[in-house]
Amino acid sequence: MNNKILNIDLDSKKVSEKPIEEEIFTDFLGGRGLGIKLLTDYLPKSTDPLSKLNPLIFSVGPLTGTLTPTSGRFSLVTKSPLTNTIFHSNSGGFWGPYFKRCGYDCLFIKGTLSSDNKGYILIDGYDKIEIKDAESLWGLKTSETLKKIQEMEGKNCQVLSIGPAGENLVKFSAIMNQAHRAFGRGGVGAVMGSKNIKAIVVKNGTLKFPVKNKEYMKKLAIVARDKIKVVPITSQGMALFGTAALVKVINSFGMFPVNNYQFAYTEPEKIDLVSGERLRERFLEKSEGCYNCIIRCGRMTNTGEASGKGPEYESLWALGPLIGIFELKTITHANYLCNDYGLDTMSTGATIACAMELQQKELIKHDSLTFGNKDSLCELIEQISLRKGIGNELAEGSLRFSRKYNAQDYAMQVKGMEIPAYDPRGAFGHALNYAVSSRGACHLTGFLVALEVLGAPKKINRFSVRGKSDLLYLKQNQSAVEDSLVTCKFVGYALGFEFTARFLSTLLDRKISITDLITIGERIYTLERLFNIREGFSRKDDILPKRFLETPLQDGPSKGRVVPLDDLIDEYYKVRNWDENGIPTDSLLEKLSLKRLI
Amino acid sequence: MIDPETFKQFKIVGKVLTDHRYNTSHSGNISMRAGGKILIKRRGAMLGFLEPEDIIETDLYTQDSGIMLSSTETNVHRQIYLNTDAMAVIHAHNPFCVILSLIEDEITCLDAEGIYMYRKIPVIEVDNPAGPTDAAREVPPMLKNYPIVVVRAHGVFAKGNTLYDALQNVTGAEQSAMLRYYTMLSGKPLKRDYSKEKFFSEW
Repeated sequence: MNNKILNIDLDSKKVSEKPIEEEIFTDFLGGRGLGIKLLTDYLPKSTDPLSKLNPLIFSVGPLTGTLTPTSGRFSLVTKSPLTNTIFHSNSGGFWGPYFKRCGYDCLFIKGTLSSDNKGYILIDGYDKIEIKDAESLWGLKTSETLKKIQEMEGKNCQVLSIGPAGENLVKFSAIMNQAHRAFGRGGVGAVMGSKNIKAIVVKNGTLKFPVKNKEYMKKLAIVARDKIKVVPITSQGMALFGTAALVKVINSFGMFPVNNYQFAYTEPEKIDLVSGERLRERFLEKSEGCYNCIIRCGRMTNTGEASGKGPEYESLWALGPLIGIFELKTITHANYLCNDYGLDTMSTGATIACAMELQQKELIKHDSLTFGNKDSLCELIEQISLRKGIGNELAEGSLRFSRKYNAQDYAMQVKGMEIPAYDPRGAFGHALNYAVSSRGACHLTGFLVALEVLGAPKKINRFSVRGKSDLLYLKQNQSAVEDSLVTCKFVGYALGFEFTARFLSTLLDRKISITDLITIGERIYTLERLFNIREGFSRKDDILPKRFLETPLQDGPSKGRVVPLDDLIDEYYKVRNWDENGIPTDSLLEKLSLKRLI
Repeated sequence: MIDPETFKQFKIVGKVLTDHRYNTSHSGNISMRAGGKILIKRRGAMLGFLEPEDIIETDLYTQDSGIMLSSTETNVHRQIYLNTDAMAVIHAHNPFCVILSLIEDEITCLDAEGIYMYRKIPVIEVDNPAGPTDAAREVPPMLKNYPIVVVRAHGVFAKGNTLYDALQNVTGAEQSAMLRYYTMLSGKPLKRDYSKEKFFSEW
């Protein structure tokens, strides 16, 4: 690690460096953990996420850019304008390793540029940090922005940028990475937009990081790669079909949501129309991987009318079956458009789905908002991004939109963030994660679908209750560690956590056990909880929409199921050593060396 | 969803393999051809306690997203189906077959049942015995001529017209391997070596 934070104060336009205390790395690793620690130390209670006080904290981890497979990822932490919770997101590609090689572990951006002074940040490894004028870039789509910046800064730069959605403070806008990867969910694009920053560019990173036992590290990497090549999910499923390989799989368990979660099972002939196989057959040009990744799940596609990246599983679902559309070309074009405008595809689709159900129930009147209406989808995406017409209302996300019409029950969200592509009625552990996740409905912070559906590493009963909390506790802590190192979650299908501990131990040249890592993960997760509690969140917010608690699925392999959430949450709080209101106990804080936040 | 009668075969075969301790709690895989598809055990499921949703359907001819759920060795099964007359395939980690594969280049049967059924059981060696890629290439050519083959240090792949037929090959081969192993362990010469009379080496 470089042990250095790069601070950029947009108010004063001052750039400074600050060392990171060794203890912070020991307790929080880097990436998400580091960002969470810095944010909780810095941010006053009840700060408006779109005010200049709310920082954007980008961090790499100790494994970023190393020989460890899939170590191209890096993390972003801020307070979310969509949920008002603490928020973390991460992205792959090459920006993280480039940034680390410029000599930093963390980029801490605070303050804001004045509204008549749009800018982009350049981090040049040749000791040059600049805030450059971005007036000519403002209003451009992300692909246009990337092209312009590459003309100015050279082809070899890596670019994070927002699109018009971020500029217009859409609550679920994303920060795009090379115009096609996303720091998604939670509206981080709006936070960047509120600072009048269009892009963050890195180039000329040349530093190398010596590893004491390089030979062992190399051997470990070879063994890890061999394992990744053996496991069918990583070596074949993801590689051949991308994450869209999950479409038929999740549907086969009756968990693939359609029409705003009114259904969760589709007949085989129909689901084939939007499967990973169909995507590969019709549009795939080539697969693409992040830094040091052999899985290569990325899809570079071409429909004959347009080309771009994706769609990935969640995007394909949200811009397709969730809103009643089973036409792959429309979905693919909508996905390109979301990337270009800088929108989170999941929340975009889920918010439109919510509006469509309100139209179906005659709670609103808007003719374009009907399930299956593929003709208006691209126009709706544009309206949301530019906050025009009904798009201005939808740009607030499903919770705020539905509240306006007193129809909150039709917003499929938790803490304001829309639920991903796995109906919680089909996997109870996964349902619990949606309810308690610190950033709102999230599938990544404790992906129990891996065990409950994919049987990785071993199959467990997806409808059982006892013990699910313990597994979720473990998975959430592991996930916090992965996001802090920072590695890709997909590698977890092939490599056990013992590999993570060995890679880190070798890199740092000191013994770190799996148990040590789980404790660090618990510390990160608990600190996130403490932040949310300070912001007013409590047990009442660890809830799922009524539909999942009261309305059984009518069809498919999960037919008749509803989520027994209270039982799951009671057990979960006990496992976490939180009290019955979901507040971490004193003994837990003592164990983790944490203090309550004021 | 698999029909009850077909599932019953999977359940019985899975149970027998586990009861015979040919596999660990979750290892081993079994499959059958079915109308242009392969029905195969789910990865991570327990072979001895199969449930209907543990049988995954995947395409016989091409890779599909069924691979997200199906056994790690799915592609070995697929290549066996595409290159041999197999209608069902079992992969198990028979202990005596594995032991003999560590010290011999083929397993010559000494017992009458083994002589009648197999004469000899070929042993093949691959660079990565735990991975399916090498096995997918090397196993099918052997199963063109033999009902069962041992991958050195790993386990057996057996074919059959049905799952029960393949099961008989797995259990029969293991019986012969066990008898041969114990005979070798005794250190005593054979009174009569039938393998030398029956042209086993040319089999």
